This record gives sequence, C-alpha cells and structure tokens, in this order.
Amino acid sequence: MPHDHDDGHVHHLLPAEPALRVKALETILVEKGLLDPLAVDAIIAEYEHKIGPHIGAEIVARAWCEPAFKAELLKDSEAVFREAGLAGRQGEHVVVVENTPDVHNLIVCTLCSCYPWPLLGVPPAWYKSDAYRSRAVSKPRQILAEFGIDIPVSQSVKVWDSTAEIRYLVLPMQPEESHGLPAPELAKWVTRNSMIGTGLPARPVGIE
Amino acid sequence: MMKPPHDMGGDQAPQIVPDKPDEPKFEEAWHRRTLGITIATGAMGAWNIDSSRFARESLPRDDYQSFSYYEKWLGGLTNLLFQRGLISENEIMSGHSDGQADKAWQDKILRADRVKAALAAGASTNRAADEPLFVIGQTVRVKHPADTTQQQPGHTRLPHYIADKTGVIIMHHGGHVLPNANAHFLGEQPENLYAVEFSAVDLWGQGAAPTDRVVVDCWESYLVAI
Repeated sequence: MPHDHDDGHVHHLLPAEPALRVKALETILVEKGLLDPLAVDAIIAEYEHKIGPHIGAEIVARAWCEPAFKAELLKDSEAVFREAGLAGRQGEHVVVVENTPDVHNLIVCTLCSCYPWPLLGVPPAWYKSDAYRSRAVSKPRQILAEFGIDIPVSQSVKVWDSTAEIRYLVLPMQPEESHGLPAPELAKWVTRNSMIGTGLPARPVGIE
Repeated sequence: MMKPPHDMGGDQAPQIVPDKPDEPKFEEAWHRRTLGITIATGAMGAWNIDSSRFARESLPRDDYQSFSYYEKWLGGLTNLLFQRGLISENEIMSGHSDGQADKAWQDKILRADRVKAALAAGASTNRAADEPLFVIGQTVRVKHPADTTQQQPGHTRLPHYIADKTGVIIMHHGGHVLPNANAHFLGEQPENLYAVEFSAVDLWGQGAAPTDRVVVDCWESYLVAI
C-alpha cells in the first residue's frame, strides 16, 4: 500500500473499513493513556442531547419579543453570547446578521464546514457537502430554490463565507402570523435552517 | 500552482440534498466516535485548530475528494498524531500501543468530568494586534492565496475565488490568531481581521443578481490598499 512518511501521511496504514479505522485508533490511544473513552462518550452525549438549534431559536425568539435585546444583539452579539455562557467551542465569536425585506443572508464555509456549534449543534450533512460548499457563494438563489425558497428580485442575497473563527447566525424576519406570541412559543417557529439562511421560520407542525 | 481540492468555492457541483426532519445527527456510530476522539485529543494541546484543518487539507487529493466528511477527520487526526510524535507507525500498523505515552501528555488528556466545562469555554482566537491598516468603508484588493502562505505547501484561509478581486471593508473583528502561521506552529502572529464585501457580479459575472453580495473574513495580510 503506497504511503508517504516524508510528508507524515500514515493514515493509509490503518484498516480499510472506516469503522475499523476508528476502532484501531481509539484502541491505540486508550492503551497509551492518551484518551479517556468516557470523555469521548461525554462529548458525544453533549452534542446528541444537549447542544442543538433550540438554543439559537431561543435567542431569535427573544430578539423578536424584546427590541432592546435585539438592538444589543445586532450591535455586539459576541458580548451578548459571552455573557449568556453561549460562546463555547466553535462559537466563541458569533456575529448575528439580520434578514430584512431588502436582504436575505446565507451562511457557508467553502473551505471546510465551519458552523456555530454552541447555537445550532452538529451541522447537517448537506452543509458539509461539496455541493453546498461549492455553490452557496456562486449560485445562492439556485441553492435557496433547492430548499424551496424563492427570493424576489427586490431582495438581495448576501452570502457570508466563514473563513475565520467568526461564526455567523442569521436572525430571520418574524412571520406576521406569529406576532403577539410569547417567546417560548415563538422559539418553536424558528427552524435550524432559518438561522443558516436555507429556510424561513414556519408555523410549527400540529399547531393551528 | 494547482488549486487545492478543499478550496472549492465557486466550483461546479450537483444539487443539494436537504435533510429530512428527524434525520439522526450522526449517520453511523463511527461518525460520533470520530467526532468525540478528535475533540478529546485536541484538548491535549499537541496541536491547534489551524493545524487540524491543514492536516485534513493535506490529505492526498484522491483521498480528499473521495473520503466522506468524517473519513477526512480520521485521516487528518491520524497523520497529526503521528507528525506530533504521539503515535508511531508501528502502532498504527499493529492497531495496538507499544507502550505508555509520556506522562506529560497523559496528564493533559481531557477527562469525562471536564468535558462540559471544556466545550463551554471554547478557545477564543481574539488577541491584541497592531493598529488597523484599514477602515470600515475602505476599498481593498485581495492578494492571491499562494502569496499568503508561510510555507509551501502552506495553510491559508484566503479562498481562490476572491484572489485579485476588489472589495469593501464592512466590519473590523479585532485582532485574531493568523492561521497561516499557527497551522505550522510558527506562532500566533495575530492580525486585524476584517469582513470584506464583494459584488457577486464582480466575482461571477453578469449571470449573478446585480445586488447580491459575498462577504469573506480576511486577515490584514491578505489585503492591500488601493
């Protein structure tokens, strides 16, 4: 099997089957005392069950309800998230960008798949795909059409390529029909995709 | 110099397949495991996030283009562990350790009871930097990625599709660790980081909507005043 030690490439020496590759690496690391498998379990549990888009949705709902909070968020969201204890791994520097009748925002990371994990959880497979990474910057309106959103000519699309540790979160426009609802109800209208820009807030299923 | 495969903004690609509601967060158990192992080992401090990205980008082109997302993580991690002297070729081939790692490393591993706090703390890249060269509203030209790397091949976060293009500074994010240096363990070399806005028509031609824009975060050394 060809490999190139001079460039430090040894990954081909692991088993061919990916599941076995992971098992082998984990075995080596645990045997060497370089990995606590319970820590791995704990990390997985955090991202499976605790950290997810409901966190970002609560922020959006609060911004819809409280003009002063919204103003703070748009002025210095990094400070707001730090104070709320929401500036953790891969979300240390989040900038909130507001959708308006004039501008629809769309977030991507063309170079890898940077994403605001503390607010949205694990990124979906399509966000990390070559298709999205390649086309979001150059064909955003086509991408949005593929997600079922038609952006009128009167609204411009602004795509944010997350090339640094700044993470962008879209503050979607509040749907007319949702005005007057309290924040916990509003949070249910805020979909994960609406905070990335590939969706719009929607009436939760099952609610009249 | 050939454009590296990870730098794919603007390339042709197929239609998106949006996920369905209630799709599992992880398709495979080994995906979850890879995520957990990558984050846990990163906490030892033997490398940094920029080195992690460079390790994935440095996978042979064929691998980068055929590997699934978590396979890239696994490939990058294996090579990084080897390059940093934490695991040996022999161990990788046998699938077992040759012996205990240095106590210095063992003392640094992330323990289960510290996970929640570690994830919540994150790792800010904000640092003091020199007085900013550019101001909000200023027009700047972007360099070419090859002119920003500190070794060959080297890491940069300047995507090829803005090379030699003209944009406007719309935000100043403050000083941030420079990946071009940090990825190669050359120090943090913090620089002012700016959000630079480009006209879609300038980037993609007349087929783009005239009011559409693309914003890219650029370090000061990626830009020149015009």
